Amino acid sequence: MRNRATTPLKVKKNLLDQLKIRQSWSKYNLYNLSRLTRPSYRWKNFFQLKWLAKSTSRSYHGEQVREKQWVRMFDTRIRSVVPMDAKYLASNDGALESAGRGSGLERGDEPKSRSRGKQKGELPIPYMQMTFAPLERRLDTAIFRAMFASSARQARQFVVHGAVKVNGKEMRYPGYLLNPGDMFQVLPERVMFATGSPKLPPKPKAADEETEGEEITSEDNEGVAGEAEAEQDQARDDVDVERDPREILKDLKAQAKSILSSTKQDLGAKRKQDLRAFSKTIQRLLSRSGSSTILTDSIEAQFAELQNQLKIRRQNKEAGTTSLPSAQDDSRTSLEDGAEQSNKDEKDEALSGANGQENSLTDGEYNELLAALQSMHENPVDDSKPYATPWMPRDYMSAFAFIPRYLEVNHKICAAVYLRHPVARPGLAEVPSPFSDLTQSAAFGWYLRRS
Amino acid sequence: MPPRIPSSAASIAAKPTPSIHTHCKSCLNRAFSSTPSSQTTQLRRRMFAWLMQGPGANFRQPLANSTNYLSAYDKKGTLLRERNKKHGTSPAPSSEGPETDDMAALEEAAEDEPSLPKEDLEDLRPFPLNKSFVSQSILSDELREEIWKRVKVDGKSVRQVSVEMSIDMRRVAAVVRLVEVERRMASEGQPLAIPYAKAIHSMVPVNKLDARTRKPVEEHESINDLEQHPMTFPQIFWPTSESRAFNRTDAGRVFSAAPRLPDEQELGEDGKPVLEPWQDNKAEIIGKPGHAHPVLKPADARIPHPHLVAYEKDKLDPTLRPNEVRARYAERLQQEDSKRREFRERQIRAEEKKKSRIDTDRWQFVVTEVSATRAGTGLDGRGTKAPGFRYGVPSQERKKGQVKIPTSVQV
Repeated sequence: MRNRATTPLKVKKNLLDQLKIRQSWSKYNLYNLSRLTRPSYRWKNFFQLKWLAKSTSRSYHGEQVREKQWVRMFDTRIRSVVPMDAKYLASNDGALESAGRGSGLERGDEPKSRSRGKQKGELPIPYMQMTFAPLERRLDTAIFRAMFASSARQARQFVVHGAVKVNGKEMRYPGYLLNPGDMFQVLPERVMFATGSPKLPPKPKAADEETEGEEITSEDNEGVAGEAEAEQDQARDDVDVERDPREILKDLKAQAKSILSSTKQDLGAKRKQDLRAFSKTIQRLLSRSGSSTILTDSIEAQFAELQNQLKIRRQNKEAGTTSLPSAQDDSRTSLEDGAEQSNKDEKDEALSGANGQENSLTDGEYNELLAALQSMHENPVDDSKPYATPWMPRDYMSAFAFIPRYLEVNHKICAAVYLRHPVARPGLAEVPSPFSDLTQSAAFGWYLRRS
Repeated sequence: MPPRIPSSAASIAAKPTPSIHTHCKSCLNRAFSSTPSSQTTQLRRRMFAWLMQGPGANFRQPLANSTNYLSAYDKKGTLLRERNKKHGTSPAPSSEGPETDDMAALEEAAEDEPSLPKEDLEDLRPFPLNKSFVSQSILSDELREEIWKRVKVDGKSVRQVSVEMSIDMRRVAAVVRLVEVERRMASEGQPLAIPYAKAIHSMVPVNKLDARTRKPVEEHESINDLEQHPMTFPQIFWPTSESRAFNRTDAGRVFSAAPRLPDEQELGEDGKPVLEPWQDNKAEIIGKPGHAHPVLKPADARIPHPHLVAYEKDKLDPTLRPNEVRARYAERLQQEDSKRREFRERQIRAEEKKKSRIDTDRWQFVVTEVSATRAGTGLDGRGTKAPGFRYGVPSQERKKGQVKIPTSVQV
């Protein structure tokens, strides 16, 4: 990328109206946004005014777009709509407005502002806020606006890396201008990564070694290796150092690399043995900490099993067994604190319940348990993911959370439809912009000089 | 400037081959650089004070059952609604649906304080300086399912559902499309971003489904938006006769420089117009060749739901009873629907007519008729509209500066 989009805290002469705001959800940006003030236009000539307005607003609107590109995109025509009232149109064919001298008949007793058939007739249309509307058509901007990426730059990266589809076809151009009706999709994994809180680094030492050693290419192996490294450190802390941890790690890495280098087709007996040994080592390491990653593949089965057990219990209860709430309480607390281990507890519990011990749930408890189970199923602990699990929204995200009306977004599938071009309507402009009317109109004036 | 000597320089000098054993713990914590970390500037200190202890701490986690924008707080970080609530109370927002555990955690955190009043327009501005941008509500899941059901299960037209729910037709169509995709993905067992969707829906204003009326709780958007046509931008001074009323149809003709309609075309029997303005959907082209442009229609015909004008007119008519009005409305909708369907079929047939299909054992060849006439090649024979290579006209395809970004993606 040509330029770096930084969010500096420092501005020249402490002029807070010239802070650089970015299309990003970072906390730096939030802080700058909270400090941003209205532009002061004292002691500035018209050119300086326009220049400042253009430079501050362009650092937010499409800063990834070259100035020349943007100048070509700029359009003096601003799209706007007026909401019409069908009742007004039915009762009046417009002759009332053109009567008299052309601006409606005037009577002394009537108040000056008549209803004009507009729902918000009094509010002016903020045309100037639509200066940068053509940029909202860009694919990368639209992805950011749909909240699929935490910044426009990240959205651009998603597009370039092939994680975005437009109308079901992969689109690798961030500058693709969406047409009304286009549907764009981002891979849910990428979206969860972009919007989720970041995974805590395993340990600084492990990170150090990862950078100096070769990267392991396969994703899940990487996760496992990272885990193994962390475990290694822990193990070394607990027990006296029998072997140099670095050596173990290097061994592991070398093993992984050699195993990965051969494809699955030509797996010989020796390779298979290697593979088994490797997986055993990893399992041993993982089990030492009581981690839950090994069980992730059987989560679906576990969930189904649990639901089944719950249903059985419910039926038993309806049949008329007596209740024993204390055991349930235990089970619920265990559910909350852990992932799979609690699952196991729960399962044992459930089994014992089914076996005929007298315990059952009240309605509220049953629902709560089911909801907890459901949420655990939807949002599981999974160390192989590149974000912190269970998934949580990243910090300082809610201050930037809005969906403009020209997009219709389905967040479950991380897909959105670009319905129409953004428009201005009385009192509202659909282009999200942190700047005031003054800045925007001066910027509009700047770009007018070309067209 | 004093020479910058790292504090650990001496130790490094003593042991020329640093290894894991020779380094101190803090040395291993560093990522790349061996220079001592820069001192935090006052700016950074202030920022972190604002973010961690100051007003910025409010934004770290989303507010339960509410949006959480900068404008909702004052400079000191107190919620304006909270402050105003002390003067008067308002009903609590209702919570619904099964909760995720993060939402549950949030609620636990917010349990000690009573629920907040609903945010007003001022609280919904994400950017404090921009008064004209407001975070508008999105459709809730139940609402989306309801729309999908009405279109796909009940077989209603998009237009009808749009009027019933007061949601833009394009949005209705998009919702149906997205729900279809969602269902397909769920049936295929593809991973969905459910916790993410729930988090977003707890952060942005959401328009919910009223369980009783089966409609959105609030009116979602205006469905009869009239786009301001560029032809109407100039101000025109136009003297007209006082003996005739000057209506919207006439104004459209003035804006497009078309002569006024003669009386016999304008008025039918008993003073009523021949064609109601909302029925006027035929394009009338005017102007010399090369300058031809369509005549601007009155607003009644340009809004997305012209039939609503007719409905309102019927309602104003004293001779019609309410059930008749409703019957006429339904009939009009049906007519419109069948007309649209016919038009689509005609279009498809016309397209099919241009093609000839040749079936072989393995493939079906589709041959499309093309003609490279003067209309396509232009008078000088260099036009690019007609297909094919023309002698003496170089292809611009591989020239420098040609933009290769596609302009549209066909579904």
